[in-house]
Amino acid sequence: MRIFLGQRAWLLQRLTALLILLFVVLGAAGLLAGATPSYVQWHAFASSSLGAVLIVLFFGALCLHAWIGIRDIVLDYVHAPGVRLPLLALIGIILCAVLLRVALTMAAHFLPGA
Amino acid sequence: MPTPSPGRPRFLKLPSIRFPIGAFVSIGHRLSGVVLLIGLPFLAIALEQSLRSEADFAALAAQWAGPWRSLLLVIVVWAAAHHILAGVRHLLMDLGIGSTLTRARISAWATIVTAALIALSSAARWLS
Amino acid sequence: MRISIYRFNPELDVGPHMQDYDVDPDSGDKKLLDLLVRLKTIDDSLSFRRSCREGVCGSDAMNINGRNGLACLTALSTLKEPVLLRPLPGFPVIRDLIVDMTQFFAHYHAIRPYLINDEQPPERERLQSPEQRARLNGLYECILCACCSAFCPSYWWNPDKFIGPAGLLQAYRFISDSRDTASAERLAYLDDVYRLYRCRTIMNCTEVCPKGLSPSHAIERIRLALLRESS
Repeated sequence: MRIFLGQRAWLLQRLTALLILLFVVLGAAGLLAGATPSYVQWHAFASSSLGAVLIVLFFGALCLHAWIGIRDIVLDYVHAPGVRLPLLALIGIILCAVLLRVALTMAAHFLPGA
Repeated sequence: MPTPSPGRPRFLKLPSIRFPIGAFVSIGHRLSGVVLLIGLPFLAIALEQSLRSEADFAALAAQWAGPWRSLLLVIVVWAAAHHILAGVRHLLMDLGIGSTLTRARISAWATIVTAALIALSSAARWLS
Repeated sequence: MRISIYRFNPELDVGPHMQDYDVDPDSGDKKLLDLLVRLKTIDDSLSFRRSCREGVCGSDAMNINGRNGLACLTALSTLKEPVLLRPLPGFPVIRDLIVDMTQFFAHYHAIRPYLINDEQPPERERLQSPEQRARLNGLYECILCACCSAFCPSYWWNPDKFIGPAGLLQAYRFISDSRDTASAERLAYLDDVYRLYRCRTIMNCTEVCPKGLSPSHAIERIRLALLRESS
């Protein structure tokens, strides 16, 4: 039970933060440099295996980071088990749905025949 | 017989407590995190739309043109800026960089002011 | 000088209220505690804890103008009027400025605040090098006044499960003691989402410590020690 609770969650929070930070800094630097991508460029990036992996990785890190963060908030402020558990479940389902949607988008896009 | 109190009270009226600057960064970190969490499903939808077709890609930017939607965007920009800056501050402090009280106070002010400036500059661009 | 004090008498009051006092400090009254002692001669129903009156016993911790501190170390000249005195935030109030510290000390006992060493004791005593002794500086000075824990939002939300800054500073005091052999067990005990990881590095603890200690720094070191332990 200790795996996801104490240090592991704290560490994952920081590792995902670093990953997200890297993506955001690169993205923001690109945008500020005036390199707003055209549809063709963006489409080509997302169609490459590297691009697809990076996009899925980015959303994976976002969802994991968001989960640990919101779980901490719920643990602090919501104490009644009858509220806490359904609330955590609801947020977990939403985050899984986000990930699923991204995965489906990329699958449909990356594998046009599928 | 006097009526005894049913329980022990606790003093925890937050407006009566004088919070240090670091506490404002922290609650801002939380608030901005929740804002970004709410924005996450919309980001996933935007990803799909951006890849659907050239027209959908172009429509994405146009969707955020109205004044109310721009305001929403400014809030998201503030949230992202504050969350990232406060997050970097925490990452450095975890490693013992800037974790003394004096330095932590300075970086707390810097976080709040910089995030506000970024939000204001995006507001100046989109809301004018 | 106008002072407004949180009053609650469980035998008479349904709830707490603020009571105003106007009192002129004597030329000998330098600290807030001096004035409180003077007030007690005017209104002997007023209750607060005090003992050493020099910042060593840690019994007169209270919320002074919105910040936690020791009345005996707070100079009257630094206080803005009206001076608002309330009990330590989040702690159950027994009467007026006196709070129930049971839970606070339960956390202190839970971190095992004593040296653990099952090795054969030497002839005279377990010696430390000056460097080993220096590692306890900034830790051993804690007087357990609870100013820090009672100013920590994470402790307010989970006072039953989060050890709080005072307990964690004490835990680190024993983890870093060269004579203690139970560091690994101590760290394993702390590796918990509530006990240690409720801390969000707000640093309210360090802001109010009347001894100038830094519980947030101790917590930072515990987390790094745990990281080393697991890698």
